[in-house]
Amino acid sequence: MTLLEIKNLKKIYTARFSNQQTEALAAVNFSVEEGELVSIMGESGSGKTTLLNIISTLDDATSGEVYLDGNPLSKIKNKEISAFRRNTLGFVFQDFNLLDNFTIKDNILLPLVLSKTPLAEMESRLMPIVRNLGIESHIDKFPYEVSGGQKQRVAVARALITQPKIILADEPTGALDSKASQNLMEILGGINESGQTILMVTHSTRAASFSKRVLFIRDGAVYHEIYRGDQSADEFMDRISDSLKVLSSRGERDE
Amino acid sequence: MFFLMVSLLTNKFVQERSATLPTLFMIGVVVIGLFSVIFILYTNSFLIKRRKKEIGLYGILGLEKKHIAKILFFESLFSSLLSIVAGLLTGLLFGRLAFMLLNFMLRMPDDIEYSTSLVSAGATIALFTLIFGLTYLYNVSQFTFANPIKLLKGKQEGEKEPKGSLILFILSLILLGWGYGISITIPDPLAAIEKFFLAVLLVIIGTYLLFISGSIFILKALKNNKRIYYRPGAFISISGMLYRMKQNAVGLANICILASMVIIAVSTTITINLGSAETLENQYPYEHNVRLFGDMDNVEEMNTRFFEVQDEVIALTEENGLDVAEMESYRSESFFGNLVDGRFVFKQNLLGDDSPILMMAIPLEDFNGMTGDNYTLEEDEALFYHSTKTYTEGELAIGNKNYKLTEIENEFSADMEFTESIALVVPDVSHLLDIRDDFMKEFTESNHITIDAEIGLDVEGTEEQKEQLVNRLNSEYNGGSDSFSLYQSRENQREEWYSINGGFLFLGIFLGLLFTIGTLLITYFKQVSEGFDDREKFQIMQKVGLDEDMIKESTRSQIVWMFLLPIVIATIHVSFAYPIVRKLLLIFGVTNDMTWLMTFIAVVIAFAAIYWMIYRVTSKVYYSIVK
Repeated sequence: MTLLEIKNLKKIYTARFSNQQTEALAAVNFSVEEGELVSIMGESGSGKTTLLNIISTLDDATSGEVYLDGNPLSKIKNKEISAFRRNTLGFVFQDFNLLDNFTIKDNILLPLVLSKTPLAEMESRLMPIVRNLGIESHIDKFPYEVSGGQKQRVAVARALITQPKIILADEPTGALDSKASQNLMEILGGINESGQTILMVTHSTRAASFSKRVLFIRDGAVYHEIYRGDQSADEFMDRISDSLKVLSSRGERDE
Repeated sequence: MFFLMVSLLTNKFVQERSATLPTLFMIGVVVIGLFSVIFILYTNSFLIKRRKKEIGLYGILGLEKKHIAKILFFESLFSSLLSIVAGLLTGLLFGRLAFMLLNFMLRMPDDIEYSTSLVSAGATIALFTLIFGLTYLYNVSQFTFANPIKLLKGKQEGEKEPKGSLILFILSLILLGWGYGISITIPDPLAAIEKFFLAVLLVIIGTYLLFISGSIFILKALKNNKRIYYRPGAFISISGMLYRMKQNAVGLANICILASMVIIAVSTTITINLGSAETLENQYPYEHNVRLFGDMDNVEEMNTRFFEVQDEVIALTEENGLDVAEMESYRSESFFGNLVDGRFVFKQNLLGDDSPILMMAIPLEDFNGMTGDNYTLEEDEALFYHSTKTYTEGELAIGNKNYKLTEIENEFSADMEFTESIALVVPDVSHLLDIRDDFMKEFTESNHITIDAEIGLDVEGTEEQKEQLVNRLNSEYNGGSDSFSLYQSRENQREEWYSINGGFLFLGIFLGLLFTIGTLLITYFKQVSEGFDDREKFQIMQKVGLDEDMIKESTRSQIVWMFLLPIVIATIHVSFAYPIVRKLLLIFGVTNDMTWLMTFIAVVIAFAAIYWMIYRVTSKVYYSIVK
């Protein structure tokens, strides 16, 4: 079943004091099936983050539409947009975006608190998730007291706790060392195995190799896509690297 | 930062100027001085935290610590020079303007001159040089002990969640209790003047500690109460406040202390002013008051002179075509002593460790004539009034006499509340003479004890005639021909009183104004600085689904802290200050508690309203920064 569908998405930035226009997204079309783990790869400035921002309703598209579960996102009223973001989307950011003034536990519970969830339910949802992510011994610490990998796992927990339809991850391994990255991707893979849909933007072929499908984006358009199929992560990683090589060399040739 | 100092400096000026007045304003100087130290350090620590990154970058680019110290030195030198000079100038200007405005508004009989002296300017410069020196040393130490990487990250590094120190909390309660205790147990106005300063200081320190430790306790307790904590508004604001509680606490304590000061300064001075008429009546019960002093060498002379002068005054009144509407006259004898085992033991004068009791003895016929009562007394009986009402024995021995006492209310003078006093109504004048003889036996050198007399009268007639009488009585009984009498006209005293009390009102309002400005600046600064601090936090939260209504809600739940807490605590402070202030007011002759209570309530409400406006405006600023 198609969970997320993106049709003809276009985004043009206009500088505030001139008519100069920058096209961030030209015409993006793709869809994500329920339970998929999809990676989007591309060079800096290729429009990955813009795309993710539009999907996460942090930004508006110039034209085109994003459908989640068949509902167009642009039809959501301004008032409901925060609640929508809270309840249907989960976010994992490159720089964690944890709040220093909350304990790990409170950071994870934040979206639930904002939705005024009953206390008992918060507690019951919290424990399985932190146990799963191996951070249950840290929940009373503060973010500046734990390592980067642990912080990102906290961010994942925060994304998971609302039981979102889809998790949007923006370079989740970007600020982590290789061991922590490996660990995090294994966790994301595990979550995906249990049926959670994840859309991830990444630079790292290693991270992308954990996904079932990789989309390559260049100059604001989906350029190429490959499926993992039955391949092992390592084999898939080689294919991703090859594709990237082809992508960049062809790009140069084009110019 | 610069602006703030301007107002503080102005403050300082006023204070210095009025330091010639009672010690009360000396307290003001110290408080303002203390306050400016705390405030500038607070401001500085905030600014420097924001600049850590910049300095860290210098470090990475290869500047040695020596160089950075040099840069900082020149920076602080210039900025402090500039602020001090500009502060003095603005202080001068603002001070003059404000005085002119208030003089105009209050329509004072004599304008209050705004004077500046080199001494006050010098003191101000010295103080602020010291403060800037301190901040400089603090800044240098901050950078010397940190490496560049740490500095770069300095801004992100959160303040450690403060541990609520139980000791501090208890200490704060002790200090507050001590300060309050002084206020409540103060026996009389003279002691009040001495202890007022100590009490104020104790309460100020206590307030800071209370806010620093107490607020953390309360916040932690709230945090532990999951039902309260896990709601959107509380969730954001409680954790946010815990996060930077130290700054917060100091800010709140500042606001609280300023609020108390505004309320006390304004309400007492307004009371003094409103109570002026009453004060005059207390001080001068009649329009015309003649006081006769007894002759040491011939005490009994008073008994005839008393009646002669009464007749003379009446004659003079009628001569001027006026009628006597009411007249009161009595003889009395005043002396000091202590109550020991049912005996009044004489003391020669006020000096000594224990403050003696003032006793005033009045003959019965004068007392009855004065009050219109019809008491009769046997030879060994007396009417008795004691200001503290702590003497409950039925008998009292004075000299070689022993009186059976009948207690009466204060029919005498409001001054009796001033210090511990006793009024004793004895059967007749001969008793006064007996007491005097006993007193003289004990202290042969004493020349203080005589029989004095008061004659007061109201007259009816035209203003012109009254004025003539005033002049006539003045020349007759004031100084000059007979140095054993004193004449005071209420009309003449009135002007003097109003100019003095007007001066107080003026100073009170001026101080109130300055403290309010101080409150405004602190609140504004606090909101803006927190706004910038919180901005990033709110952006993150918006990403995970915080909507605008919730931002509003969380800022609203801060109101409870920001707005109510300082006001409530200030009100408690002021309530506890009530006894001591009341005693102080007695010095100014204000005895009407209702007047003071009403003005007190009015001022609290007015200040709350002003503060509410300040708060609304600043929280809008905060909200717009955060958004």
